[in-house]
Amino acid sequence: MAPILLKTENLSKSFSNGGALQHVLRNIDLQLYKGDFTVIMGASGAGKSTLLYALSGMDTPTLGTITFGEKIISKLSPDGLAIFRREHCGFVFQQIYLIEGMSIMDNVLAAGLLVNQNKKALIGHARELFQAVDISEETQNKFPSQISGGEAQRVGIVRALINSPEILFADEPTGALNSKTGLDVLNTLTRFNEAGQSVVMVTHDMRSARRGNRILYLKDGIITGECNLGSYLPEDRERHKKLQNFLQQMGW
Amino acid sequence: MKKLILLVRANLRRSKTQTISIFVLVLLASMLLNIWLMLSLDYKQNFWRCHDRLNAEHVTMILDNSQDEFCNFLEEAVKKEKDTSEYSIDKAFWLSGTVDYNGGMLSSNFFILEKDMACRRLIGKYEIIEESEFKSGIYLPMLFAMGKNYSVGDIIEISCGNHVLSYTVCGFYNSAMTGSHNCGMCAFLVTEDVWQELGEKAFVPASTMLSVRLHDKSQSEAYEAVIKNTVSKEFPSIRALNNSWDTVSKSRYISQMICSGIVSAMACFVIIISLVVIASGITNDIRENMKNLGALKAAGYTSRQLTGVFYIQFLGLTLTGGAAGIALSYCLFPAVNEMMVSQTGIPYNIHFLFQPFVITFLVLGGTSILVVYLSSRTVKKIDVIAALRQGVETHNFKKNYFPLIHTRLPLQTALALKTTFSGAKKNITVCITMLVLALIMVFSGVMIRNVVFDIQPMINLIVGEIADSCVNVAAEQEEEFLELLYKDDRVEKVYLYNDIEVRHVGHIALNLIVTDDCTKINNQNMCIEGRFPKFENELLLGAKYAQEQGLKVGDEITLTADGNSADYIICGFTQTSNYLGKDCLMLRSGYKRMGVIPYLSYYINTAEKVDIDVLNRELTEKIGDGIKYTVNIQDAIAGTVSVYVSVIIMIVVVILILSVIIIAFVLFLLVRTLLAHKKHDYGVLKALGFTTGQLIVQTALSFMPAVLLSFAVGLIISMLVINPLIALFLSGIGMVKCTFEIPVGWIMIMGAGMAGFAFGFVCLLAVRIRKIAPREMLNGE
Repeated sequence: MAPILLKTENLSKSFSNGGALQHVLRNIDLQLYKGDFTVIMGASGAGKSTLLYALSGMDTPTLGTITFGEKIISKLSPDGLAIFRREHCGFVFQQIYLIEGMSIMDNVLAAGLLVNQNKKALIGHARELFQAVDISEETQNKFPSQISGGEAQRVGIVRALINSPEILFADEPTGALNSKTGLDVLNTLTRFNEAGQSVVMVTHDMRSARRGNRILYLKDGIITGECNLGSYLPEDRERHKKLQNFLQQMGW
Repeated sequence: MKKLILLVRANLRRSKTQTISIFVLVLLASMLLNIWLMLSLDYKQNFWRCHDRLNAEHVTMILDNSQDEFCNFLEEAVKKEKDTSEYSIDKAFWLSGTVDYNGGMLSSNFFILEKDMACRRLIGKYEIIEESEFKSGIYLPMLFAMGKNYSVGDIIEISCGNHVLSYTVCGFYNSAMTGSHNCGMCAFLVTEDVWQELGEKAFVPASTMLSVRLHDKSQSEAYEAVIKNTVSKEFPSIRALNNSWDTVSKSRYISQMICSGIVSAMACFVIIISLVVIASGITNDIRENMKNLGALKAAGYTSRQLTGVFYIQFLGLTLTGGAAGIALSYCLFPAVNEMMVSQTGIPYNIHFLFQPFVITFLVLGGTSILVVYLSSRTVKKIDVIAALRQGVETHNFKKNYFPLIHTRLPLQTALALKTTFSGAKKNITVCITMLVLALIMVFSGVMIRNVVFDIQPMINLIVGEIADSCVNVAAEQEEEFLELLYKDDRVEKVYLYNDIEVRHVGHIALNLIVTDDCTKINNQNMCIEGRFPKFENELLLGAKYAQEQGLKVGDEITLTADGNSADYIICGFTQTSNYLGKDCLMLRSGYKRMGVIPYLSYYINTAEKVDIDVLNRELTEKIGDGIKYTVNIQDAIAGTVSVYVSVIIMIVVVILILSVIIIAFVLFLLVRTLLAHKKHDYGVLKALGFTTGQLIVQTALSFMPAVLLSFAVGLIISMLVINPLIALFLSGIGMVKCTFEIPVGWIMIMGAGMAGFAFGFVCLLAVRIRKIAPREMLNGE
């Protein structure tokens, strides 16, 4: 069994809505393992994104603990969480969120230079990543508004990986893309995962979910089921069927 | 229209802080503009109104002769002049004396009139402002009631040589021409019994007061000269004290002129800032609400209707703020009035002024309309589909400033500089603000250094020459007097410094300083160009007067005194404010070519810790009646200058406070706008691991290049222009060159402090970044 990368105990999150408390996550106990491609699925409002915020240190839980290695991150201050994120996490957003006023290369370096002071090595690493996601040198000097959505999301992946994070969090990474570019992005994530990168992805798209080896189903703030699909193989029909059955069981 | 109003209301609700900020800025601009217009359009006219109400004279003269023969001659001379409209010849007493004033001493030529007679006069009527039950005593000009001077029932002591006259203050009066010692003539009114007593005192010469109203008041100076010449030809030894409409109307409004100059500059500054803020408000609104504007256009709104919303919103805001500012100006005007009246000495009844009201509205409304027109033109260019999809791109991507791949700057600095270079409007606003702030700081520094910390430079500039004591001695006892002083260990230096009136072409009166040795003059900076006179045919001329007359160094002018004329070569220029720039200086040997001086004023520098009053008293006792009067100059200066000092301190404090408020507002708006623009970016950067502190510092750093550069340039330019600028402000009182010391070190320290303050203040404002939650970035839009 792979070592545990991150675990939660009694993780709960509530929001105040017009004076009434709304419990979005309820006593979740969860372990994420190194090298896994974990997919979190569930209906709208199930708490998928809230769980992702909490796991990635974007948000703090109302109750319970989140432990990364030996470190309890749920007790960190906002700045402590920021440092945790920059050192251990990478993020791929649905809306991509490249910074408009910076070139593509600067978007990546702005994240990289926060952690890595060896600029030469960092630039070399960035160039390797760009090459891996098929972003040309010419494109690297362009601005976000001058590239396509697919290219932008691949740049987003490069930015997320520039600091070689232990976990890559992705929130609906293909949500804003068309079918072809979405597929490119999924292939990129899969390739990095196959190279050892741990990935946690939130999605409600079956085609995306199929890329994961471990599927968690969230319903009303509780993990109601888990499905292990094994390593991803592109033409594996059994894998698709297994996932479909699991989701049917979960009431998808 | 109803729909547009609804959109305006929605805009106002959405941008409450911006609305409040613009309202406050417009309010300040309107307040300053209205105060300036009130000061410049009506305040000076108050003197004219007062002059008309009291049917005041255009020429006033006190002549130290009261015999019937003289009075008849004077009456004939006045009747003969065709410019004479009305005249009055009355009995008066002439008193050269010293009184306590404004915490110091005031030495001047006072003249005394009987109160009932003065109030009955048909021309140059005296108006009692404050009356009391005291039946015996003195009525003082209302200037003496200002501040912590005199109140009814107080005792005023008038020192005249070694005599002291004490009277109870019965009340205060107002007079257009003789109510202020700042104009050279100051009257005291006394009750009948005091008047009778004075007639028995030999040291108070009975004199004649001549008041003349002219057909053409612009001829007042020439008329004054003609009468003086006529009289001095027939009565050569007569002494005269005089003033004219021209001189009084200028000298009573010096502080009004300075104050209105500064207020006008401040008003222009605040108006510019308000307009810049309105312009950036509109641009931001368009950028932030591009999708809404696209949706409205798609729904059928025309570009004209959408820009109409901006017109209604910002014009409404300007006019409301303007009205509130005008109202506020009337609330603050009593304080301004009190400050001004302490110098003008003429009460001003604050009343609503239609002209400033209309001009203020027109200026603010007109400039706002122009700015709204220029800033909202982009609405026409909005393409509905492009706006609905993503908004019209407004970034300039032609250049990637400080590319991280090449720059050697630290990451924070490089990111801050990227922000700096992406905001041209922000930088322009910061630059304008910091340039003006630099000027204000240099002005304040110069004023504090040269007025508040050490008054000497101000005194040198305004008064010209000062010493410790001034003794006026009869010419026949001059030798005895000097011998006494040369033997006295307490005296360090004694030199002739006597002022006397001479006339130039067109009968223009000039105040001539006569001295024996120019090297003994304490203020060698008095000569601002050329050199002091060395020969009897040379003179130093007032620079302002020389400018007006087109005279240069080397030119020859003809002066007249005691009915005789002589030619003099201008060897240099001087400046003092005492006679509004109409000054000159020559050697005694030079003056002798025109006349003689019966009484000579000597200036004395004493050793340290010498009691000047004791020295003066001892001299008076030893020389006796040969000494006409003595003045403790240090005390006298303290009294005279304190009015100007308090006005300047108040001005400095007010402009500093206003500046801090405005700069705080400007920075607040800029930071707020920046945070609104960069909220997304900051959220993303936080998600990537930037801490709140890093982003706050980055924000503050992004302001610093514009702050530091414009502030440094502003300080250098301001230090270069401040003296000429002050001279320009003071040109009305005869200044053409100002040589105030510029406290460079102090200004640099303050500048560094101000830059630090700007950095700290922006950091403080940017603390709002803390509230930007990175998790919001994970939410789909």
